[in-house]
Amino acid sequence: MKLFDWKLVFDQIPPILSALPVTIELTLIATLIGYVLGLLLALIKINKIPVLRQLAVLYISIIRGTPILVQLYVTYYGIPLILKYHNMRFGTNYNLNAIPAILFAIIALGLNQSAFDSEIIRAAIQSVDKGQIEAAKTLGMTGFQILRRVILPQAVIVALPSLGNSLISLIKGTSLAFTVAVVDLTAQGRILAGKNFRYFEVYCSLAIIYWVITVVLENAFKVLEKKFSIPDQPKSPAKEKVEGGVA
Amino acid sequence: MSYIEIRGLCKKFGDNVILDHVDLDIEKGEVVAIIGPSGTGKSTLLRCLNLLEKPEAGTIKVDDRTYDLKTKDRRVKQNLRRESSMVFQQFNLIKNKNSLENVEEGLRIVKKLGKEEARKKALGALEHVGMSDRLYHYPKHLSGGQQQRVAIARSLAMEPNLLLMDEPTSALDPELVGEVLVTIREAAKAGNTTLLVTHEMNFVRSVANKIIFLENGKVVASGAPKEIFGYPNNDRLKEFLAKINMLEGAEYNI
Repeated sequence: MKLFDWKLVFDQIPPILSALPVTIELTLIATLIGYVLGLLLALIKINKIPVLRQLAVLYISIIRGTPILVQLYVTYYGIPLILKYHNMRFGTNYNLNAIPAILFAIIALGLNQSAFDSEIIRAAIQSVDKGQIEAAKTLGMTGFQILRRVILPQAVIVALPSLGNSLISLIKGTSLAFTVAVVDLTAQGRILAGKNFRYFEVYCSLAIIYWVITVVLENAFKVLEKKFSIPDQPKSPAKEKVEGGVA
Repeated sequence: MSYIEIRGLCKKFGDNVILDHVDLDIEKGEVVAIIGPSGTGKSTLLRCLNLLEKPEAGTIKVDDRTYDLKTKDRRVKQNLRRESSMVFQQFNLIKNKNSLENVEEGLRIVKKLGKEEARKKALGALEHVGMSDRLYHYPKHLSGGQQQRVAIARSLAMEPNLLLMDEPTSALDPELVGEVLVTIREAAKAGNTTLLVTHEMNFVRSVANKIIFLENGKVVASGAPKEIFGYPNNDRLKEFLAKINMLEGAEYNI
């Protein structure tokens, strides 16, 4: 028996990848929850909405102050408990066993992302120069129009590098989902290793897979950053056809 | 009855009274310049008229429409803001939009003009300020003077009933001031009713119909440029003009 099976490290990558869709699903939905809820939290904090603001601050503090692993377990055991209580109290009949495990992971990771993303989004929104917002106001634009057309497009440019970081840590955070019985990449690897006892090789394969995914993501974000940023050089007027008969 | 009547405008920052019952009449097509020492509420006066600041009291009548400046009604605020448009000291162009888009923005989003019509208007406005060759430049590609000219085009394209200009040349390099002043003069000649805060006294003298001297939140003196610069009848005004070397009387020459 070989001490270290190089070949196996690469050979078992395809069977591990059969769980890639689960990891991607976890990541995408949690990211979406993170962005939407994060934007909401950021707007609550920026606009200093009474009561909601204090709640947002508390929420962000708790989520950022507890390990993601603990949060996964709290959702995993907490949500069934709440539903059980609901069943007892209101005579409903939710089937606790029918809840797919991935739902717990999505909720836990999504909420976790929202707390971190909200701070990124808040900082980005507040970095947008106030003068432009005043100018948009004096044009007669409504608050929502200003948010959508002036603030967010510029905030995105500022937020993208940090959001990219946050997404990368989320991808790796999904590897904890196996603790709540989700078969993601890591869980799939552990299942394989359980059969051949080649744990070291499996973790090497997993390291390679996560690393490649991260590199792809990093580059995707670079492309996005470039796309959203204001070009360094003005478009040359010669290439642009001016309409409307203006000389 | 004047075209624009501002009555009883009051504004405090904390306990600090910035504007103290300011009344002001502006006729249609008139260029009114506000001068005065710094910190006397010149900019605040302008900013109260489009609710960038919330005044404690005051009304403004434009044509035959009267607005309460301390209104909380969103619709009324929106309508009031659409009466005027503002040119800022720091230009305040939207940074992620090029010159053409900056001018089109208000036309499309606020005035709800069609794509073609908005573009035509925007192109016309940019041509007026001599920026037709920089349509696709973003603000960061433009000099201060060019940015301010685009900002003026943006304001004029909205066809405001009152054009507010808040020290439009104060943030510019000295050699760029000229091009912006020329643009403002053109706008004034075209009959835009304008309220202008500036420190360019020679410019004020030649372009304004009426000058308001504001001090400590009060209109201390007002009149035609000739009266203000030629025969100031107020001691504070004389002192102010002497300090900035604009007084014509020999006794005050330093």
